[in-house]
Amino acid sequence: MPPRIVEIIRGMRGGGDRNVARLRRKRAITHLCWKSWPILSLTLLVTGYAWMLTIPSTLHGQKTYIDENALQPSQVTTYWGWTDVHRTDGYLDALEALRDRNASGNEYANYISTEFRKLGVPAATQNYQILTSSEPLNGTNAFAILSAPRASGAEAMIVSASRISMDGHLNLRGISTVLSLAAFLKGYSLWAKDLIFIVSDGYLDGMQAWLTAYHGLSQSNIISEPLTLSSGSIWTALNIDYPGHSFSHLGIFFEGLNGRLPNQDLLNSFQKISLYTGGVPVTVYDHYERGEFPDRDLADIPWWVPHAAMNIEAVKEYVYRAKNIMRHVGYQARGRASGVHGLMHQFRIDAFTMFAIPSAGPHGFHALGRVLESTLRTTNNLLERLHASFFFYLLVGTTTFMKIGSYLPAPVLVSTAMLFSGLGEWARARWAEEPVGPDEKEREPGLGTQWVQRKRPVLPAILFVIGTHLNGVLLFCLIASPWASRNKIFTYPFLVAQAFLFPLLLSLATTKTSSPSTTAPTYQILKSINLCLASTVISITSVLNFSLAATLAILLGPPLIWSGPGKYRHIKAAGYCVLGLGWLLLLPQEVQKALWNWEVLGVWFAPFVCTVYVPLVVQAAIATVLIH
Amino acid sequence: MFSALIYSFLFLSAHVFSIHAQEFFQEQLTLRPHRDGTVLGHFAFTTLLKSATPREPETIRIEDTSQHYTLFPLALGQVLREYAITELHLSLNAGKWSYDRWGYPEEDGVGTGAELWAWMAEGPGASVDERWRGLRSNLAGLFCASLGSMDEQRTTSPSLTFLPEGDLPGPSTPYQLRHGTLPSENVCTENLTPFLKLLPCKSLSGIASLLNPHRLFDADWHGMGIHVRYVENAGVEVRLTFQGVFDPVRYSTDGKRDWSLHSIFDRTIQKTCPVARHSKIRLISTTDAVDVSPAPNTFNAAFSVYDVNTVSKPLDISMQWSNESHFEYPLSLDSPPPTHISVRRTLKGTEQSRGQLAIVIENHQDKQIKASYLETMPWLLQFHLNSIQVKWNSAPRDDLMSIVSYIPPVPHSRPTLLQSVLTLPPNGTMDLTIDVTKPFLRYTEHPPDAQRGWDLPPAVFRPLIIANDSNLRRLPRIYTPILLVDLATPDFSMPYNVIIMSCTLIALIFGSVFNLLTRKFVLTKIPNEPPQ
Amino acid sequence: MDFHYTFSALVAARALLAFAPLPDALKYSQQLSSPLTSYARLKEGVYLFSHGIDPYSGGLFRHSPLLLSAFTTLLPLKDPISKLLWTACDAAAAWSLVKIWRLRQRVGKSSRDGLIAALYLLNPYLFLPSLALSTSSLENTALLVAVAFACERRSSASILLLAILTHLSFSSIIYILPIFLLLTSSPVSNLASPRPFALDFKGLRKAVLPLVGEYFAYTTVLTAASTLVCGGSRAWVEKTWGSFFLLPDLTPNPGLWWYFFTEMFDHFRPFFLMVFSLHLLIYVLPITIKFQHDLLYATFLMAGVSATFKPYPTLSDPGLFLSLWSLFPETYSYLRHPIVTALIHLHGSLLLPLFNHLWLATGTGNANFFYASTLVFGIANGAGLIDAIWAGLATAIPVKDGDWDVGQE
Repeated sequence: MPPRIVEIIRGMRGGGDRNVARLRRKRAITHLCWKSWPILSLTLLVTGYAWMLTIPSTLHGQKTYIDENALQPSQVTTYWGWTDVHRTDGYLDALEALRDRNASGNEYANYISTEFRKLGVPAATQNYQILTSSEPLNGTNAFAILSAPRASGAEAMIVSASRISMDGHLNLRGISTVLSLAAFLKGYSLWAKDLIFIVSDGYLDGMQAWLTAYHGLSQSNIISEPLTLSSGSIWTALNIDYPGHSFSHLGIFFEGLNGRLPNQDLLNSFQKISLYTGGVPVTVYDHYERGEFPDRDLADIPWWVPHAAMNIEAVKEYVYRAKNIMRHVGYQARGRASGVHGLMHQFRIDAFTMFAIPSAGPHGFHALGRVLESTLRTTNNLLERLHASFFFYLLVGTTTFMKIGSYLPAPVLVSTAMLFSGLGEWARARWAEEPVGPDEKEREPGLGTQWVQRKRPVLPAILFVIGTHLNGVLLFCLIASPWASRNKIFTYPFLVAQAFLFPLLLSLATTKTSSPSTTAPTYQILKSINLCLASTVISITSVLNFSLAATLAILLGPPLIWSGPGKYRHIKAAGYCVLGLGWLLLLPQEVQKALWNWEVLGVWFAPFVCTVYVPLVVQAAIATVLIH
Repeated sequence: MFSALIYSFLFLSAHVFSIHAQEFFQEQLTLRPHRDGTVLGHFAFTTLLKSATPREPETIRIEDTSQHYTLFPLALGQVLREYAITELHLSLNAGKWSYDRWGYPEEDGVGTGAELWAWMAEGPGASVDERWRGLRSNLAGLFCASLGSMDEQRTTSPSLTFLPEGDLPGPSTPYQLRHGTLPSENVCTENLTPFLKLLPCKSLSGIASLLNPHRLFDADWHGMGIHVRYVENAGVEVRLTFQGVFDPVRYSTDGKRDWSLHSIFDRTIQKTCPVARHSKIRLISTTDAVDVSPAPNTFNAAFSVYDVNTVSKPLDISMQWSNESHFEYPLSLDSPPPTHISVRRTLKGTEQSRGQLAIVIENHQDKQIKASYLETMPWLLQFHLNSIQVKWNSAPRDDLMSIVSYIPPVPHSRPTLLQSVLTLPPNGTMDLTIDVTKPFLRYTEHPPDAQRGWDLPPAVFRPLIIANDSNLRRLPRIYTPILLVDLATPDFSMPYNVIIMSCTLIALIFGSVFNLLTRKFVLTKIPNEPPQ
Repeated sequence: MDFHYTFSALVAARALLAFAPLPDALKYSQQLSSPLTSYARLKEGVYLFSHGIDPYSGGLFRHSPLLLSAFTTLLPLKDPISKLLWTACDAAAAWSLVKIWRLRQRVGKSSRDGLIAALYLLNPYLFLPSLALSTSSLENTALLVAVAFACERRSSASILLLAILTHLSFSSIIYILPIFLLLTSSPVSNLASPRPFALDFKGLRKAVLPLVGEYFAYTTVLTAASTLVCGGSRAWVEKTWGSFFLLPDLTPNPGLWWYFFTEMFDHFRPFFLMVFSLHLLIYVLPITIKFQHDLLYATFLMAGVSATFKPYPTLSDPGLFLSLWSLFPETYSYLRHPIVTALIHLHGSLLLPLFNHLWLATGTGNANFFYASTLVFGIANGAGLIDAIWAGLATAIPVKDGDWDVGQE
């Protein structure tokens, strides 16, 4: 090897002893990281929030498309005609007669099952009772199973309508559509899967009772009759919600329990079918497409936006998308089902609700029937379960959606920022700066202080963390207890004390002071653990339930990063109290809803808040009030 | 003119041969209206090879006597001789037979998909399993069905439920049963065509001329069967059957249930099959007032019979409910139900790793029934026998189920065989649950449509009621609908990625471990860095 | 506080946990019990056996005939009894862990005892599998008691337990060498002052050969007994020990084997099975040689190896590794990246159940999700192992002030 190159290499090595050079390099790098650490985590934090703000903008998003070839949406001629509409009207009249003499759910169910039998479709009813901490829910479901000719009956699809619509009215038109569909579909031998028609009582409770019975799930607080008819495994379900007397658009509601979404192919093909076969425009939820009613678009824009900006297309689009996303987050973050379909997701049934947005016209049973027929034909085509990885998406518009890659980074960046500042805190806890004695003065002029390593006792901090989480479990038990639901006014101060003040005082009492030069203060270690924990929670939740992760990132990001003792630490602590437990006082009905969802539908939101979210905030508060 | 010649020749030849070879052919169609407006049509074409006996397996290695048949299906005969089959039953069905609406079928074997079972004598010539394998592949070729995939992973020998329907020659010779099911088999015209080829008159004349694919395969349920049995001092009998449940209400425009041969099969009987010794149409009578035309030859309370050979052609039997404007479905199912017991079998649970098999059996009789319960489950679903729970009217009664034999499954090679006898007290419901494990397959073992899941064979029940003379009377077998189990799938595009990533991780750990273990530790003095 | 009170309080807490109602999610969790250790399968095997059906003729039951005979004769497999038994086993394990600690420190009792017991009994990786009644907890107990006996130099008892352990779970043979050598040396910590093994080769041979003989004697007896239990059929060998090499059951677990061999091309399967099985053994000799001055530490590292590379691991294998760590406080200050390891472990242990749920229950995620989480968990275990080795070696070179630093060349 020519000597010059050797020289160069040696130069790169940074001459002298190789080990010294290596270790030097190592130290240099650590020093660099050490210096740039706070900037780095701040940058990450800012980027994360910036990304969140851009999510509704036109930077992201792409047109929807059909991934599963078997679906072939709106490729069939539909046969649903005016005679069927007439039949439907007949059913509607009968149902309205029942409504006028406000009949019980039981009477409805009996009438419906009888009608099914008259059509030659085996039908049955199911009585159920659901015990909640408040009053028990009773009801009767009616369902019928049309076994497809020549089919083995190993697969099935559901057409369902709940008796109560999602807007609180009776869903009579939905029910009569289901009945009439049964009569109509029986006339064809082309079905490859059994058709299960369900008219569930109540809004959500009936369907939950039916589904748990069908899948043999034993839910302790549901007492329901076993189903006397059986069919195969269910792949897809359509839920009809038609409260008004006619409709202008069909809105799709798709969020399921605990933030599970249906396969997007289903929604996309329905959108196509509805538009091209039924001639009915589709909207996300009941939000009208942008540009359809320009005045409404303007109404959506907040007042503080300058008038000049109001008429810019991009701004309008941003507002429209933001509206959809906020609605979505509202459902998904709370793990709430946006319709009856949402209960089916927990059984791997891809389902959505088509909501006939009430209006003066122009559409009615005729259009709806054709859309339903064509959609059923499409799902009937399925040879396999819908499986393409099409379950993680953000539907920002009717035909626009965002892939997971384009929205996930936002919360992940924030959580990384928290992780970094946590690690930084951990490293900082290792070093203490203390003045050097007089004798060393001569050796190192200019340097008034020196860094000394110190011990980092993690045990007390970890005990605090575990303690707060256990305390969170206790908090949840208390809130869920019937005693709490009965006398709120008295319980709330108690709960605040139990969940917040008690751990604070306990931690203050138990931590004993130690010299900061030899051992790191507990609050520092607690803060670092708290930050790492929170970041882990956020980054993991982001895959399961993006909305929840984003909400956590927004709520926890800065507060946890800027915890720790300071001048106004008591005010800060009060702030943490509001952040952690404010919902107890501010949103009592939210609490009730969340608890109901947990009891009846097994939604994890309430326990999650009590056992994960609150403790994290409490830990930050402890880290703030502790002096050592 | 030409065809007339052919027929006269056929007719003649048939008589000539039937004198020597002693072959009798007879055909029969049974028509049975149901309460729900459907009509069951059951075709049976029986050929008897007089005073013939099944081949002994000893002679299997030596050259077989040459076979000359006129009516007996040669293709089938050769298979039977080749593998020395004593009794054989093959059924290919599509659809779910609803016992509650249609009662017992005319032929027992109505399980969805393909089912094949055969009794064979043991012998030195060739092992039973070799012959079973050969039989499968030959029949697969003969009927264009994928019976070849009915391999040892699906073969069992449930001798408790599938007893021979004929006689087994030689009291001393030991016999063995082989039984296999293929629930995912789809039955269609490509199976019917070879079936028709086996008939002496094909589908040209006689009752067989009603077998019109376009209508048969539009039925609510249809199935074909081949049944070979040996009857003591009669001979070897081959019975080819076709059953279909037709829905006249669906065909009709005005929602009436009136039907005729023409409305159901879109054909009428023009000619008789000359070689048929008997050619009958049985019409099961119903309770309600109907007018039937033409008038039957013979008539009794149970059914009326048409002799196709004698009645005037073209024959188009029709049944009219003249007093009803349109058909009204019965609001409740028949009481008492048409079958002694009714069974529902479902796979509960939502996870892809475990589940629960739930079976509900209702005894409609007011006397106790014993029923044999058979599961021939591929290893794709594995039972936890210790978790069996039996409830009678929702009170635990473990004594009601007694397991006769259980062969646990072996992954990749052997299915489960669970034979048990249930005791059903009068008028009540039994709930039977078994926990099951769903195995995880290699990525090469999944079918192309992996996400659909696997069809699981039906369970078979056989009620045995104590007749008044206190000896057991066997009733027809009852098949449950098939099940669909979805097994967890790996990502089929991943093999290379997985190999790369896993190996990288392992190499990483391995490398750093040995790096630490082998390299020498040094303690170095680092002079303070120059102040930045 | 007196250790006995602490210990009994801990055990009582564990007993309470054991008798608390257990959600199905835990009972059937694939992280907590593998096909080789699952309680449901054990019950099935016992049921078949007591009904005269050979449980090894099927593919479901893969437990050792010893457990089979034990649970059919001595202890009926009823829930309360098993819960008590599993809790008792964990208590015994924790107790022997404390004993090992005391023997290592050459003290009668120490302030750290309670902490060590707690770190075993309240380690979620360890008590969750034991709540799910996975037999891996029994294997851990066997190992720890064997090691405790080894530290006491009670060779026969130790070797018997070792034989039982290797009989229950074949991949535990990697513990044999370090424990044999431990029997001939002492558990006292020599990490700070490494020196070559006390005995020369001849002496070693003299000391170890009888132990090996004894071990083989026990193993032969156990094997004979098992064959006897199975009525002379040898099917159990292939079904129990064989599954450690052949991986017949591809049920997911936190380890690295299952997805690799789910996705493996059929014609390469035998080769890679061979490679993976050998790879597990490769570590034994080097680690034992390198840590010949402190064989307890070598045993501890073996636990790390088996936690990372075992064919059918459950959470109790990494759990054992982590709890054993409490025996070596002298190494803590030399760990390079403890918090990173801890964080990866945190991520891994949270991701495993969630992604398993996404794949198998809600069906929104596919197999790759769970595979990814097993990779993360593998990284966590690997990082722990590497850092343990580093700290164990670096302990020998204490660094006083900032000007000195340790490196490798």
